[in-house]
Amino acid sequence: MNATYSAANPPRYGHLPSMTDESRAFQQLSFRIARTLLRQTFSQAWFRLSLVMLLSAILWGGLLWLFYDGFQFLKTTIPLSDTRDQAVRALLHMFFASLTVMLVFSSAIILYSSLFRSRETAFLLTLPARTERIFLHKFQNAVIFSSWGFLLLGSPVLLAYGLSVSAPWYYFLVLPPFMVAFIYLPSAIGGIFCLLLVYYVPRHRLFVACVAAAVSTGIAFWMFWSLASNPDGDMLTLPWFQELLGRLRYSDQRLMPSWWLSSGLLEAARGQWAESLLFLALIVSNAMLLRQLALWTAARTYRVAYSALCGLESSRRQARVVWLDEAIVRYARFLPLQIRLLIVKDLRLFRRDPVQWSQFLIFFGLLVFYFSNVRRFSHDIQYVGWVNMVSFMNVSVVGLLLSTFNTRFIFPMVSLEGSRFWVLGLLPVRRETILWSKFLFAATASMIPSSVLILLSDLMLEVRAPILASHQLTCVLLSVGLAGIAVGLGAKLPNLREQSPSRIAAGFGGTLNLVISTLYIVLIVLLTALPCHFYFALNGYVTLAAANTHWGRYFYLWLTLGTVLSILLAALATVAPLRMGFRAFRRLEF
Amino acid sequence: MIEFQNVTRTYGDRVAVAGLTLTLPEGELFAMLGPNGAGKTTTIKMLVGLLRPTSGRVFVNGCDVARHPREAAQCIGYIPDEPFLYDKLSGREFLEFVAQMRGLDRRTRTARIDREVACFDLGGFFDDLTETYSHGMKQRLVFAAALLHDPQVLVIDEPMVGLDPRSVRLAKDVLCARARAGTAVFMSTHILSMAEEIADRLCVLDRGRVNFLGTLSALQHELALPRTSLEPLFLKLTANGDGEAGPPQQSGPSLTGAAEPIEGPG
Repeated sequence: MNATYSAANPPRYGHLPSMTDESRAFQQLSFRIARTLLRQTFSQAWFRLSLVMLLSAILWGGLLWLFYDGFQFLKTTIPLSDTRDQAVRALLHMFFASLTVMLVFSSAIILYSSLFRSRETAFLLTLPARTERIFLHKFQNAVIFSSWGFLLLGSPVLLAYGLSVSAPWYYFLVLPPFMVAFIYLPSAIGGIFCLLLVYYVPRHRLFVACVAAAVSTGIAFWMFWSLASNPDGDMLTLPWFQELLGRLRYSDQRLMPSWWLSSGLLEAARGQWAESLLFLALIVSNAMLLRQLALWTAARTYRVAYSALCGLESSRRQARVVWLDEAIVRYARFLPLQIRLLIVKDLRLFRRDPVQWSQFLIFFGLLVFYFSNVRRFSHDIQYVGWVNMVSFMNVSVVGLLLSTFNTRFIFPMVSLEGSRFWVLGLLPVRRETILWSKFLFAATASMIPSSVLILLSDLMLEVRAPILASHQLTCVLLSVGLAGIAVGLGAKLPNLREQSPSRIAAGFGGTLNLVISTLYIVLIVLLTALPCHFYFALNGYVTLAAANTHWGRYFYLWLTLGTVLSILLAALATVAPLRMGFRAFRRLEF
Repeated sequence: MIEFQNVTRTYGDRVAVAGLTLTLPEGELFAMLGPNGAGKTTTIKMLVGLLRPTSGRVFVNGCDVARHPREAAQCIGYIPDEPFLYDKLSGREFLEFVAQMRGLDRRTRTARIDREVACFDLGGFFDDLTETYSHGMKQRLVFAAALLHDPQVLVIDEPMVGLDPRSVRLAKDVLCARARAGTAVFMSTHILSMAEEIADRLCVLDRGRVNFLGTLSALQHELALPRTSLEPLFLKLTANGDGEAGPPQQSGPSLTGAAEPIEGPG
């Protein structure tokens, strides 16, 4: 028994599947899984599906309208067709170049988790499947997962452009192949990057990936600053556009796929079929080449990289007591000890799971970046009404972020206690105490960052003190109300079978929580924003027909009424779901 | 049928398997025993091609697993300790996929699937989605999937976890029958009574090194405890392996003098 077999005694491997058989098997696998998922979604999660479709359609339609309006604006602002075409080409090129970078990273991240961290690949690697076939299977899934955002954002831009210039039918016909072929380019680059990273530097993969991300972000910021710094002359005028185009010249890189895409589609819009087809052929051939290169890389590196990654010593993580935990237990004496301990437990679970907080850190980081730049955009527009509107929009955005946070992390908390209820259930703790602890945890965790963010935004916008106070009150009301809704609904509609918080959040209860939270945010913001708007109208800062009417003059009445109503609404949104949740949680059998 | 040639596997600075040399002929039912972190799962992962040895080579049916993973995988039926199933496939669809990947033609595929369905009594839930299966049902399906292509080597990591007594009996009978038919069965288990009952040969791995390799009677003889069951023998043999005393006794070769016990991935 050893490696050397003679001709008379050949090893018996059995019949290995051909490439066609393998391909068919994987196609059937994907088809069957997709079919079951669709069937289940239509029969069990129709509400969520309808909601997602509706919201996506609204978003898509809104974007189409926005971009169409933008292109119409360009048409009127830049009458010279050559300059206008240059501007559109540069804008499309920049837009798709940014999306390309994002797609590279998103597909690399998705492929990393699906190739190296999923149990499916461990199973597939023990079958006699070709390594590149396994990669291709996961790669195609990654392309689909990472490209929906691209399609959702990219398709309305391109459709709007076609409609605004009354492009021929040919433009709309070549749009899908252009986009699909284009998606393959960054996805394949992301795949190759992911494979080579784990193959060559398995131990330092995170560091290298972070450096690459930091460099990309740095370049993006540099480009952004160079564009956002005020050019001479009035904004959105012909000279302004011409100067902007001058600044964009450096991005006129003809070797970049985003340039091919924008040029190909512009040619199609002009009716230049042959030129457009040339660019399409260029993108398709490069997509095929990169896909093949990715497969070739996978065949040579994937198994070795997988083994190398598995072979890394798993570092033992030591639990450390953080000052915050100590502070809560020691100094928050106004709360019963059991509630303090439960809050610290939830805080530790949340803190020690990066998946839980990393995406929100990114969101909040982006918001901080946006808020810190709000003043830059408003610098030239000394328009109090506009500032007021932007400040309330910021409150709404923070509210929506909080509702997502509550749906994703707070709503599933009660369901997740199901599997560990043998701990809490056997302790001398009233069930209400458990829910109170989660409510306080959620409300505090929401209140602190949202209040700070809104304070930052208001300071940047230089809003007046009463408005600032009103915003802070709104933040408190939003945090408390959203926490009440999430904890109450989480206890009323638990999913005790599911272990994944994201799946619990994606179910019926989570979707309902998101809808109710959104309605709540809209109502609260309207109740506090409208009186302020009336105030500005009354003082002549904004034009509003209602301001001159009898009712419009009673600003303080409106303000008081709006504030009282918003407080009442917040109380209702907090108490009603919590009472319902308490009742359901008391009766719940685990 | 299976050959480990001086195989060592490290995780960072720690040695999980140290200089393992082992040969299994066809038709042998082999049980690998050892405390937690002894290196059993690492050994199995190297055998099925998920991990590459840091040094040394693993052969299955004469085929170097690291160099020719597809050919080696075609000879192996693998039942992991935490088996993977596609939630959104039925048992039938899962077996069909595995059979297709094993290169079985349509007629053989149908016949083999029918055979395994009958053998593991899968009929009652075969067309349900696997997400609705209990752990025991999943384990039986995975057994069926591993045996579809009549592998020359059967590798099993903790085979009896979650199985009810009837299924345990069935699994033991299947393993014995397969071994009698010429399949080399490589099994890792903590259930000493089962190893004692069905294994032809035992290997006790401790801290990545072979502490003992041979039959039960040889172990009884070595420890001078005739007619003693495997449990006290195993406890005696691995008494130093808890990190409380000195280095373990060693009958197999090793590369380093101070291997530390570690838990391999998975």
